[in-house]
Order: sequence, then structure tokens, then C-alpha cells
Amino acid sequence: MAVAVAGAALAGMAVAQSAQTPAQDIVFKNATVMTASHGTIEHGSVWVHAGKIAGVGASVSAPAGAAVVDATGMWLTPGIVDPHSHSALDSDVNEATSPVTPSMHMIDAFDNRDKALYLALAGGVTTELLLHGSANMIGGQAVVIKNKVGLDRDAMLFPNAPGSIKFASGENPKRVYGGRNQLPSTRMGNFEVMRQAFEDAKEYMATQDAYRAKVAKGDKDAVAPKRDLKLEALADVLRGKLYVQIHCYRADEFLTEEAIAHEYGYKIRAFHHALEMYKVADRIAPEQTAIATFSDWWGFKDEAWDAIPWNAVMSMRKGVKVALKSDSNDHIRRLNQEAGKMVHYGGATEDEAIRMVTLNPAWIIGVDRQTGSIDVGKDADLVLWNHDPLSTYARAQKVYIDGDLFFDSSLPGLGTPHFSGVMHGDSDEGSEDGEDGR
Amino acid sequence: MKKLLFVALLLAGNSGWHSGWLSAQEPAKKVIAISGARLLTVSHGTIENGVLVMADGKIAAVGEKGKVSIPKGAQIVDAHGMTVYPGLIDPETNFGLIEIESDQNSRDLAEPSDEIMPNMHVADAFHAETELIPVARLNGITNAVVAPASDDTIAGQDIFIQLAGADRDAMMLGRDVALAMNFGAAQRRRGAHAAFPSTRMGLIAQLRQTFLDVQDYIARRDAAAAKKDNPADVKKEDAKKDDKAEKPFKRDLKLEALIPYLKGERPVVIGVYEGYDIETIMELAQEFHLKVVLNHVTHSQEILDKIAAWKVPVILGSIYDLPRANERFDAVYTLPAELAKRGVKIAISSADAGGPVSSHSSRNLPYAAGFAVAYGLPYDEALKAITLNVAQMFGFGDSLGSLDVGKTANVVMANGDPLDVRTEVKQVYIQGLAVPMVTRQTKLRDEYSK
Repeated sequence: MAVAVAGAALAGMAVAQSAQTPAQDIVFKNATVMTASHGTIEHGSVWVHAGKIAGVGASVSAPAGAAVVDATGMWLTPGIVDPHSHSALDSDVNEATSPVTPSMHMIDAFDNRDKALYLALAGGVTTELLLHGSANMIGGQAVVIKNKVGLDRDAMLFPNAPGSIKFASGENPKRVYGGRNQLPSTRMGNFEVMRQAFEDAKEYMATQDAYRAKVAKGDKDAVAPKRDLKLEALADVLRGKLYVQIHCYRADEFLTEEAIAHEYGYKIRAFHHALEMYKVADRIAPEQTAIATFSDWWGFKDEAWDAIPWNAVMSMRKGVKVALKSDSNDHIRRLNQEAGKMVHYGGATEDEAIRMVTLNPAWIIGVDRQTGSIDVGKDADLVLWNHDPLSTYARAQKVYIDGDLFFDSSLPGLGTPHFSGVMHGDSDEGSEDGEDGR
Repeated sequence: MKKLLFVALLLAGNSGWHSGWLSAQEPAKKVIAISGARLLTVSHGTIENGVLVMADGKIAAVGEKGKVSIPKGAQIVDAHGMTVYPGLIDPETNFGLIEIESDQNSRDLAEPSDEIMPNMHVADAFHAETELIPVARLNGITNAVVAPASDDTIAGQDIFIQLAGADRDAMMLGRDVALAMNFGAAQRRRGAHAAFPSTRMGLIAQLRQTFLDVQDYIARRDAAAAKKDNPADVKKEDAKKDDKAEKPFKRDLKLEALIPYLKGERPVVIGVYEGYDIETIMELAQEFHLKVVLNHVTHSQEILDKIAAWKVPVILGSIYDLPRANERFDAVYTLPAELAKRGVKIAISSADAGGPVSSHSSRNLPYAAGFAVAYGLPYDEALKAITLNVAQMFGFGDSLGSLDVGKTANVVMANGDPLDVRTEVKQVYIQGLAVPMVTRQTKLRDEYSK
């Protein structure tokens, strides 16, 4: 079913896409090119053709008619990718009426006119994974967007992005349901709710398989079992059709989650928040589960009490793929600085730091073949900065998505070539976990 | 550095990373000379290849290398390649009023049972052993204002602290240094327990009545004191009046707490976000001649000239507050630069600077200042906004906030530009002593790095 939704979206997408693909080639010249995949090229050039990166290096062989962007004294990076955002959902982040709600689709709440998207774009963010919240052990299915502010809803969907589903654990589900004197109110309850959901899904799959077997045998009396959206979504998890993204803070819970994943035969794509990963990184690295973590948030709840700002680099050194994420309409605007902090906390190299907000989050979302680094053949999602993007001082000057200019700070007004309307959203929602709520 | 590290580890001991470590150090009276560093003095420019001498807890000398004599027996810290600057001062924190945000038991942030709470003294709740203080100190924060949260129009009285000291009392450099006021939508009493004042009209009427009550209280108190001084008058007066007058004067702690502020003796920090709210509360403040420091002013873009004309200092924070829908992305980022350009004395606070809770992210204070630089604030002004300007706003300008002889030796040494996120603080000195660079977090780091 997730596939069906994506398919429908794609049909609309194709039209919008072709309308947006710029005809003219672009060449960025004399930039400090931080590729995220193969180091930094001083005085480098990047050639964009038909929305894709056609060349990158000390020099490129672009056609004579290409528009030249003189990037002397500027930095060029891949577009920033946020693997954990709740932006533009108009407060519909949690369907907190049951701890298992896998048939919720975040696209149904997506408001493509929300100002949060614009503010993120101005901070260089070109791709976001919009996730369900963490009230439920098994939440809803995410939507992946390209931050093409000004285009219609369907034109903002990331083409061919795999589906992701949000799970949670720990304090949030037990607080939400325990507060109503319902199951779960403990971590024991949390995980049992999850196991029971998968048992239900297995039974559902068995019923479907039995029906298909009957049909295959030519049994004309076979009655099709009733479709159940919730169980079908869980079956998609067990069939490996959805990337599992788990909100999880504590070391013991990473281990429990991996054990349950092994028990039911699915893979965990990433732990989100993951503030205690530094304690068990050597155990998680072989599972090839990544983390999407805060740079330095701590102390906002009990399970964030052992958070340390060295978590990202320590986990990375032990072989865990690490991304930084926002979980916040504020922080999404300066993820580049969050990456810069990793140089300070643990001594990440510039390459490693920039990867934490580009290629690694793209991998978590499953779009690393399309975006996240400056490599030939990839989408031309690019940010031009006036200063080293890992410093406090960088401002995004121009932001390109699929080779098209979506933000230009030199323009008057909002600086959005494709948008000149009215934006929504002054509720400042968007952080699900720990925003002060002032 | 090696020697320093050794000292730090020695001090760390069992609970040495807590604030109380300084007590063990007081007899030491060590002289330390930091040599070869780039000195950002804040008050008189940058000295490349400078020397800073600290003795008896004070800055004893500061200047170019070769022009400053280093006392015999001083411990010399080779600081080539390092940048040295005065300890940073956060103008708004909740240090010691909160530990874990979601844990109600650890929260002593505000007393919302009434809107007028000037008799709430932060000093009475300040938990000096909080883990938040060493975490902030590690990134070079050496002093801070601790204020109550913003639930009430008059929330209580602030303390001014040093982030290390022998005990609570030594850390509180000043009690009741400022009155914490707030005005706007958040202070209205709405929702399930709606009551007066539920509108801005109500809030202002209540404040005006309170200030009038204080003026009346001062008059009655002074009259009572005068009678006491002159018993003959008391008899004469009493003969004229009814029984009521014979009652002894009863102190009213609430009204009494406001007296120094209505006399303009101490600053009133007014937390306010919207331009129209700023205009309203300033009208009231001027009516009663309050010594105002404006705080936040997040959506004041249209009245910047007016703010400048008032000649009041402004605390900006958070620079990360979101602009309104349809405002340009940098509408808030540029506020420090726009106000400084108009001659306003500004401070920058950490509020929300890098985390969900201001005090937990106080360590990101220098990055908020750096971000203001990215959006047009001159670098020197940015550094001043988290050092000397804050000290001056709260009455510590003579002892803190710059590298000047005679000032308290709260000094930070880092491996680069203090406002850059990539820079690591290598050593913090408080009262001229090397603070152990240890926190609960570094201990966890080290334990799991083995």
C-alpha cells in the first residue's frame, strides 16, 4: 500500500518535474567544493546539466553556453539532508490514540506552504524526512520531500524515495499511554505491544498466503481475506519493504530493539536521537544500523541525562554510520553548524563532519544514490555558502535543487524565485521532543 | 598544558568537578602567567603574542610579550597558538533552578500562583551543585545571571553568579541584582483556570495598581518610621486618630521587594517579544521611572529606532527564535546588528541556543554571538555582548568582563576563535585558578573511551 501511495505521487510528479528542469547548464567556478564523498577540491568547478551533476573537479568540460557562477571565495556543498523533521505537518505529528498506528501516512498532513520549509531552505536544507512522532511504539509512515518551496505538494515529493516507518520506545509511549492508565506504561509494556503487533501481522500474512495458495491451486471457492491497512503496513515491515526508523535513547533499548528485529526478521535502518549510542556502538556497528542524533542536546528528560556531545564522533569511530538531525524547526536552519561542532567534540575531520548532514542522512532515508554528495550523475542539490559551512559564520547564498535555483539571498523579499505567496504557520510547531513550548 | 592537566586531575578527585572545588584551592595563591597567546581584551583591542598575569585571583598584568614582567616563581603557561579572552557571561539562565527538564521535582523555575511575585528570590532556590554549571563552564562561561522563568509579569529577583566557588554563597556574587518582569500573551491567565488578568489590559492594570501600592507603602512605612523616631509626635498623632493607627506597621514582603526598583536603584529586566507589547510596557515603565533592560525583543523590527531613542540596554535572545510567517528568514538573525548600529548597548543570551532548554545549552552562548556576526554585528561588539556589556548591565562592570588589571581573573584559553563552533576551550581560569576541565559528561566520555 505504501508503494501505491508513492506511485500515485510519482505520476503527478513527472509532469511537475519536467516543467521545472532548467534548460540551461550551470558551471560553478573557483569554489571550495566539499564533495562529501571524495574530499574537498580547492578552486574547483561543478557542472550542472539537466538538473544533474555532470562534472566535478579542478576543471570541467562544460559547454560554452553554460551560465557561469563565479564562486571565488565561496564554498559549495551538497544540499543539507535532515533525516528527522516534523516540519510542515500543521501539528499533526502524533496520532496518539493507539500505540500501534502503522497505516498513518505523514503525507496526508503535509502542508507545503508551511514557513518552516522556507526557513530550512534558507539554511541550505534540500531534503527532509518528515516523520511521525514518538507517542506510539509503531507510528506512521514518513514522507520524503525535496524542499522546492513554491512548487505544489506533489512536486515536492522526492521521486523514487523508499518508504520509511517510524517506531518509538522509552519514555514517550509509556508516558502517553501510562498517563491514561493504558498499556504500555513501562518499557516492558512498550516492547510487548510491539511483539504482539508483529504476531498479529504474521497471522495476517499467513491467512493471505493460505488464500493465495488456494487460488494458485485453482480453488474457486477461496474467499479473499479482508484487507486490514494496519496489518498490511506491519506486513510490509516484516517483508522488508519499509525502512524502520526508531526513536530510541538508551543503550539497553538499542539492544532490545535489535533483538526484536532479529526475532521477527526485519532490519533497523536507523536509531533516532540515540544519545547513548557511544556506550554500545561496538555492538550496533555490525548490525549496520545508523544513527540520527543531536549534536549536543541533553538533560531535557531522564533518558537524555547521559547524553554527551562526543556521542556522534565516538560512535562513528566504532563503525556506526552517523547523521545529525534537527527534530526542530529552529535547528534545521543551521545543521551545518551542528556538523561544525563535531570538529570540536571529538575531532571529526571536515569530510566526516559534512557527511553527517549530507551523505549519511541521505543513506538513512535511502536516497543516497540520488543526493547527499557532489558526484557525477547525482541530482544537482547544491548550496553555495559565503563562508566555511562548518563555521558559525556561514550563510547560504544560493540553494539549488535538481539544478534549479530555489533560494537566493541576494534577491529582495524572501529570496525565493519560485514563491511569492502567503506562508502558513506561526505555531512554531515542529519539534516533537523537548522544544520549550514557549 | 601538561602541568595544567595534572593539576586538573588532582583536583577532580571524587566530586571535584562540582562547583565546590575552589574551596580546596584558596590557600594556593598561585601566580600564573599565560604567555604567547592572542589576547582579546574586549576593553582595549586585541594583543597578538601577549602575556596575561594572574595573581591572588585578579588580573595583575596584561600586555605585549616582552613589555610585561612576569613575577619570579610564576607558573608559566605556554599559550602560543591559543586565544585568551575574558570569561563569558550569560545574561539569562536558569542555573540551579532546574536539572532535568521533564522532572517536576528538579524544577524551581517560577511561582505561577500569582502574577506579582517580586518576593521570590532566586537565591533561595539556587542549587549550586547542579551538573549544568560545569557543563557550561567547560565552554568558557564563567559568570551568569540566574532568572526565574517567565510565567509571571513580575517573576522574582535574579542572582548574579560565578560558575565556581567554595560554596553557594561564594558563587553568588550578587543577590536580588535585578527584577525579572515579563509582558505579553504568555502571562495572561487563560485556559482551564482562567482568571483576572486574562488580557493585556488586565496585566497592565494590575501592574500599575501594584506600583501605586508600593508608592503608598513607602509613604506609610516612612511615616511609621518617623513616628518611631519621634515619640512625642506619635502621641500627638494618636490622639487625633482612631484605634487603627495604634497598630504597629506590618511589613508587606511583596511591596517591600519592589522598593529598590521603583526608586530606580536596580535594573528591571523586562522580557517582551512583540513590538506593540514593548511600546505598552515601556509606557508603564517610564511612568514609574524604572531602570529598564529590555529582554528578547524578537519581533521588534518595526520599532528599532524607538528602542534606540529610549536609550535602554537590550538583551537579545534567542537569536534563533523563528521569524513570523512571510518575514524574511533573517528577520531575527539581524536584530543584534540592527540595534548595535543604532547605538543600543546589547547583550546576547543563550536562551534556546542549541538545545531545548536554555540553561542546558548555555555552553552555546558564544555561537549565538558568532551567528550575530554572520548577520552583520561587528565582531568586537559580539564579544562585548557576552562579556563586558553584560557585566555592566548588572553592576559588575568594574570587576568582570574584560582583560584589565585589577579585574577578577576569570579567563578562558581556547585553541581558536571563541565564537566559532569548531573551537575547543582548553582551559578555564576562575579567580586565577585553573578549573578542572571535568564534567559528568567528560567522565562518561572517558569511561566509554577506555
